[in-house]
Amino acid sequence: MSAATNQHYDLDPDVFARFLDPLRKYSAGLFDSDTTTLEQAQRRKLSFVAGQLRLLGGERVLDIGCGWGALLLFLAQEYGCRTHGISPAARQHEYIAGRVAELGLGKLVTNEAVPIEAYEPQPAAFDAVTMLGSVVHMPGLNDVLAKVRRALRRGGMLYLSESCFRSEAVRRACDDRPGTEFVRHGVFGSGDLRPLSELVAGAESAGFSIRAVHDLTDDYRRTIDCWIGNLRRAGEDLPGAADLLRYLEIANAGWGYTTKHYALVCAKAR
Amino acid sequence: MTSEASTAATPVPETITGIVAAILGRDAAELTPDTDLRSVEGADSIKVLRIVAKLEQTYDIELEDDEIFGLRTIDEVVAVVGRALARDHG
Repeated sequence: MSAATNQHYDLDPDVFARFLDPLRKYSAGLFDSDTTTLEQAQRRKLSFVAGQLRLLGGERVLDIGCGWGALLLFLAQEYGCRTHGISPAARQHEYIAGRVAELGLGKLVTNEAVPIEAYEPQPAAFDAVTMLGSVVHMPGLNDVLAKVRRALRRGGMLYLSESCFRSEAVRRACDDRPGTEFVRHGVFGSGDLRPLSELVAGAESAGFSIRAVHDLTDDYRRTIDCWIGNLRRAGEDLPGAADLLRYLEIANAGWGYTTKHYALVCAKAR
Repeated sequence: MTSEASTAATPVPETITGIVAAILGRDAAELTPDTDLRSVEGADSIKVLRIVAKLEQTYDIELEDDEIFGLRTIDEVVAVVGRALARDHG
């Protein structure tokens, strides 16, 4: 995750509080009915991730690109997991440290501001690794996935979800379009949407066994619709609101046509 | 087929022009059959995708990639919708 990525994620955490759910989970929820709220969808999604990782309780989990700690805190509270979160955005970690103290989770949750390139986990130190919407900001996919595999014990699980160009051909057609460039440089500073096939190939090359692929595109569209509604209600005085709205509207115009959102579940296993 | 689609089973140029104009934020009278959509002020590839999404929903069709990414004029949009209707609804 390059330092340039911080320009978005290091914005004032209160900005994100205005449009995300109370857990401040900045990735797709999982909706099960027309009346599901954003917060319910995010809690349901966190349970879904735990299920995909086959967590039973007490596991050691590494969250790469941990945002404001929604998954770290949820797995510690609901599953008694020992969680460690990394991301390069310093302000995220100040926020997480505050939440950990408030909730009395200091024995279970740790976090550090470090880019993936500079982070070297103890070998086989984790039962599970999660990467929700973070690999898009990491240029060296193969190096990252090799590092993740080293971090896992034998039989350990990886949950990786990401927005993807819908195909290699669509990437070639759209990668230099103004909308893509605005999101990449204007909002995030860096980021490369890859087609799912490239993520799968990367996981295969790193030696992972692919356990499942899930299409979460419709859930991300609905999640972003909720965020757009919250941002509009928050008003234009919110710092950066106009750029955020433009980014989210570009994202939601593209789903299914240029982009998809997938979750990839892998195991360190034969 | 949705009820909306059954009432709009033929690609009426005026209806399509109305959809395009609404999404581009222009008056339908400004748009002629050979207007290059990308030359319209305020148009961009994101709005073209929104037009495609609205057409697919209105006519209950799915456009092919080369149709979506090759759209230039209202005339072409009408032709593409007509082809997709023939494909998807015979």
